[in-house]
Amino acid sequence: MATAEQGSNRVMFGRVSKSGLMSFLSAQGILIFFLLSMVVFSFFSEQFLSQSNVMTVVRQASIIGIIAVGVTVVIIGGNLDLSVGSMLSFATVLVVDLHDKVGPTTAIILMFALTLMVGAINGFLVGFMRLNSLIVTLAMLSAIQGGILIYSGGQNVDIANQDGTWFSVFGRGYVAGIAVPVVIFAVLAIIVQIVMSYTSYGRRIFAVGGNPVAAVYSGIRKNWCVFSTYLISAFCVACAALVLGSRVMGSQNNVGQGYELLVLAGIILGGTSLLGGAGSIWKTVIGVLILGFIQNGLLLMGYPYYTQWLVTWVIIILAVWLDLANKRKRLLTTHS
Amino acid sequence: MFKKTTLAASILMLSATTASADGPYKIGITQNNVGVDSYQTTYESAFEKAAEANDNVEVVILDAGGDVARQIGQVNNLIQQRVDAIIIWPTNGQAVIPALRQAHRAGIPVIVTNSKIAEAGMEFIAAFSGPDNVQQGVSSAEMMCDALGGEGQIVQVAGQPGYTTAMERSQGFEERLAEVCPGVELVETQPADWNREKAQRVMENFLTKYNDIDGVYAGDDNMGVGALNAAKGAERAEGIIFIGATNFAVGYEAIERGEYYGSIYQSPVDDAEAALQTALDILAGKEVPKMNFFETPKITAANIGEFEKPVF
Repeated sequence: MATAEQGSNRVMFGRVSKSGLMSFLSAQGILIFFLLSMVVFSFFSEQFLSQSNVMTVVRQASIIGIIAVGVTVVIIGGNLDLSVGSMLSFATVLVVDLHDKVGPTTAIILMFALTLMVGAINGFLVGFMRLNSLIVTLAMLSAIQGGILIYSGGQNVDIANQDGTWFSVFGRGYVAGIAVPVVIFAVLAIIVQIVMSYTSYGRRIFAVGGNPVAAVYSGIRKNWCVFSTYLISAFCVACAALVLGSRVMGSQNNVGQGYELLVLAGIILGGTSLLGGAGSIWKTVIGVLILGFIQNGLLLMGYPYYTQWLVTWVIIILAVWLDLANKRKRLLTTHS
Repeated sequence: MFKKTTLAASILMLSATTASADGPYKIGITQNNVGVDSYQTTYESAFEKAAEANDNVEVVILDAGGDVARQIGQVNNLIQQRVDAIIIWPTNGQAVIPALRQAHRAGIPVIVTNSKIAEAGMEFIAAFSGPDNVQQGVSSAEMMCDALGGEGQIVQVAGQPGYTTAMERSQGFEERLAEVCPGVELVETQPADWNREKAQRVMENFLTKYNDIDGVYAGDDNMGVGALNAAKGAERAEGIIFIGATNFAVGYEAIERGEYYGSIYQSPVDDAEAALQTALDILAGKEVPKMNFFETPKITAANIGEFEKPVF
């Protein structure tokens, strides 16, 4: 197999060096595609690469990004979390509604506690009960949606005094000229990246996701590892809810609808494999930013909102295909 | 709330007149998706209240949860129960038509409330009762024209694509704007799906793309306030006229603060009471027009005192 494929490369491209170029292209394909589209967009819109637009895009992408940091950990651990979108709605409605009732500090504490509880339920069902994570979190998605409707009775919630609360800092504030949502995104991404790369905890998550059986035989408490990834995911959702609630100063029941797909799109685009055991937060950050810039670029070029969905789909398929193609090649070369 | 009192009065009057003529009416209602937004939630409680206030009415209140199949099932159930009239808030203006035809064949008058159904179904219904969304777009265009003095460049943040209310408002707005205000140019429209956060994102992109925006028309106040948030964040709200529709509490407050120019006052209470009233009129054998629009007036800083703050 291996020799046959290398042989066909030679036939197709004449020389071996060209197949080396091709493998470089396919390995870095997404980054190259990203740079190309940036160039194309900047031809069509002079504002695209302006400082204010770049800041806007990064700020807009940071809510997705914050959640994606957590979900990446879940995926590296070999599972999925599809409940993050409705968890975001839940947490945002909660923190906004409680803000006027019990004050911002208590509201934030309660919101974090309840969101982590939802994460713990996910983690318990997947980690200890060994239930399929896709089903568990998909069921959680609709369960939470129901919970929000019961809680809010369908009413939109608002913060009455929008300009007079320090709660506004999370979504609208600036630190040294950088928007706070971006700061939260960056800090979370850096911390989680360090934890995943340089601590034994991080290595255990990789081991559990890559080869669960071997992980268990080497003494890793797999159940606890999986459980903890859902807590990290829930914590990130709670941070995102803080940003979203403060940015909008209100919330509605379906505010996070569809976020789970955008989050997954960003992660896959970055190159973290859905199969678990591989990936990095750094890649996810790139993936989320690519998604943000492409969506913004399409809008600036005047395409309607929903063209983004089509384009996003195409890019995801491309990314998954490149990921698979690379893996196949790596497998083949190590065997030969 | 001048409207509300007159409606309540007429309901009372009607109950007085029909009580002697005919026994209590059993009216079934199947709603679109209660709980999904404040408007529909308020509608349901207003409908319940109006029915309770009337001794001559017994209601069966159902909710389709946004699911067409379930709604069709509910219509069939109501036909089986032999209700005197069916009020339906269609989940989908096309797909519910066969069920409405069945009701029509069973001799049960159908009243469509709030959102229209497709033309093909009009022959099976007794009446439509709801807001005139095209007219709302027209009113918003007139307000925009007044506010800008006939000159300027504006953008539109529209509701969910494919949703009748969104399309009709846009259509009314765009057509009327071209008529009364050729000097005002609508440079771009983007949908934000009735979602405030999306509207905020869309507006942020508009602000980047256009250095000069004089006005924003939003398909409802929830999105309008999102656009306002974005403009405030970019410190460009001062020079921009914001006009919305379906006045929300947040929009009402923004008008009071002077940050938001105007909106369209559409009360779910009026909507619900008008639907029940239309059904009762039909059952009483009155001559009822096919299309019944309840009033949805313009609201600006000039007349805001005449309106109660919306509960949603």
